Amino acid sequence: MTAWPSGGEISMMRTTRVGAVAAAAGAVLALTSCGGGGITGDSGSGGGDTGDIVLGMVTPLSGSSAAIGPYMKNGAQLAVNEANEAGGVIGRQVKLVAEDGACDPKTAAAAAAKLVTAGTNVSVGGYCSSATLPTLSIFGKANIPMIIPAANSNDLLKDQHKNVFLLNGTGAQQAQAALDFMKKSGAKAIALVDDNTSYSKDITTRTAEDAKGDSALKVVSRESVTAGESDYSAAVTAILRANPDFVYWTGYYQEGGLLIKQLRAAGYKGDVMVADGSVDKQLITIAGKDNAQGVFATMTQTPQTIPGGDAWIAKYKKAFNADPGPYSTQSYDAVRVAVEAIKNAGSTDGTKVITALQAIDGFPIFSGKLKFTPEHTLSEGGFDILVVKGDGFVLNK
Amino acid sequence: MEYFLQLVLNGLFVGAFYGLVALGYSMVYGIIKLLNFAHGDIYMLGAFAGYTMLTIGAGALGGGSLVALVVILIIAMILTGTLGLVLERVAYRPLRSAPRLSVLITAVGASFALEYGIAVLYGPNPRVYPVGFGNAAIEIFGARLTWAQLFMMLVAVLLMVALDTWVGRTRSGRAMRAISQDPKACLLMGINVDNVISRTFFIGSALAGAGGVMAGAYYGKIDFLMGFIIGLKAFTAAVIGGIGNIRGAVLGAVVLGLLESFGTAWLGSEWRDVFAFGFLILFLTVRPTGLLGERVTERV
Repeated sequence: MTAWPSGGEISMMRTTRVGAVAAAAGAVLALTSCGGGGITGDSGSGGGDTGDIVLGMVTPLSGSSAAIGPYMKNGAQLAVNEANEAGGVIGRQVKLVAEDGACDPKTAAAAAAKLVTAGTNVSVGGYCSSATLPTLSIFGKANIPMIIPAANSNDLLKDQHKNVFLLNGTGAQQAQAALDFMKKSGAKAIALVDDNTSYSKDITTRTAEDAKGDSALKVVSRESVTAGESDYSAAVTAILRANPDFVYWTGYYQEGGLLIKQLRAAGYKGDVMVADGSVDKQLITIAGKDNAQGVFATMTQTPQTIPGGDAWIAKYKKAFNADPGPYSTQSYDAVRVAVEAIKNAGSTDGTKVITALQAIDGFPIFSGKLKFTPEHTLSEGGFDILVVKGDGFVLNK
Repeated sequence: MEYFLQLVLNGLFVGAFYGLVALGYSMVYGIIKLLNFAHGDIYMLGAFAGYTMLTIGAGALGGGSLVALVVILIIAMILTGTLGLVLERVAYRPLRSAPRLSVLITAVGASFALEYGIAVLYGPNPRVYPVGFGNAAIEIFGARLTWAQLFMMLVAVLLMVALDTWVGRTRSGRAMRAISQDPKACLLMGINVDNVISRTFFIGSALAGAGGVMAGAYYGKIDFLMGFIIGLKAFTAAVIGGIGNIRGAVLGAVVLGLLESFGTAWLGSEWRDVFAFGFLILFLTVRPTGLLGERVTERV
């Protein structure tokens, strides 16, 4: 299995000193362009009330994350085909329109405006969190519900847009999955280490909060390291002094590899687990193959790790003559959820579909039974535990 | 007690790396009053030079044996030294009579050019040294030091002693000290000032390059921005020790390493850089000449 950074991280991962400035400038430009009336036309129900139901998808088809776009598009198309074969929904056919967001806020905002003009009824796209963020208000103004398959930054929820629903697990859910696994593996004293970025610190903070009321285990040490440095002896010495039997690292793979290497060199014998930003083969290379064996990871689901995913993979292969990748299943589910909501609402009116989405309870999707929380995030599932075996990560059984 | 000793060892080990880089900073400042902000990137270049040689010549050199590593260390030092020399010739010498600020800006420019030049050549993703040291360690009163760490520290000390001997005992070392006091008078006395400055850049850069190879071999991961933070830390070390003073640079590096080690133990590891650079500000305001720096007399 190769590693795929989830949507929330990819922009941060590529950020350098210069990149940060450029990204910030890009975000500002994108925001001003939509504030300046980038969208014209009505702010009513989005698309037409007759003819095909249009599902719009902003996904990276060019740029640094171009590899992800086809996985998402095909996954969604598969569900569209199935819906149409079953006779469509509320007597109408479903059509998927994909636009390139390039994982870039400006491009994504333009793509979203284009989709609004094209009469999109429901948006089923969104990979990079930073690029998805400016599209929220564009779809929101047109009252178009968004079912976001991949992007999962908590920033997407900050403004509490009522049209935004996340199908990927969030930091809070990752923390819960991590804690559940720690308890299952009998950990008593855990150390939490982050790299001071918002994504990483979010997970450690939530894990610590969740662990507070628990009598089975205790957070004995919380450390933060500086990304970009090489020497983590200060953190390692502090961690070892607290004598934990489980260390959870929530940053990215570069620092994660170094941390694991230095923990083992310092004589740490207990368990180590990393979060999804560290699930990359490079983690094993940097840590050293011997040091990395048995390291656990919390990771969003990919078709290859989902129980019973084989039949689905075969179906996908038959339709597109290619292997599914990360977020293929989530995109497939996004379309199915959209179709279900339109069916229940009996209409493509934005407000009615949003109400129907909120009312969904127990609809089966890959990550479990779907029910949105009041914040419009998944109420269960979404994360798997992987383990390093040999040169790669495999599902922990 | 073990904990205390472990903190001391951590501090000394990190201090050894800071010291190798800080020496070049301090020497260059001492001789031409230039803050060579590209110096941290020379360290990065050393790491990449070592990486390239190890990847290409891994078979020929018998994998990651210590002898091979020492040979690579020496070649990388010559390479980075030469590069430092070229950098001085191209970016700094034409500006020697220009205002101090222009040279400083060139140095920042050179730093970016080196960083992103390497990013173009090797890509932005990190590379991993194809050697690894085991986790074998010795226990000193309960504190733990791996053999690799011990070896790195020995190499660093050896290089520092060699430098100190060179500066203190040889003719060209004496010329260097003379130039740092009064370059014009040296010129009149028949010392080839340009030559000595070039030599200073060569030696300073070679030491930083050695630090880069050692960091690459020990930590394993290298990337094109790795010189940035250590460059700033080395600068801090040089200021703490008294910039321009060679023994001061080593002392400053050890002090900074220990301050970081104890500071993070006391405040938590997220405070490490706040603590380190806080000391930079403290020293610059309270004792700008550093621990060993001499009082600068007002020049007319």
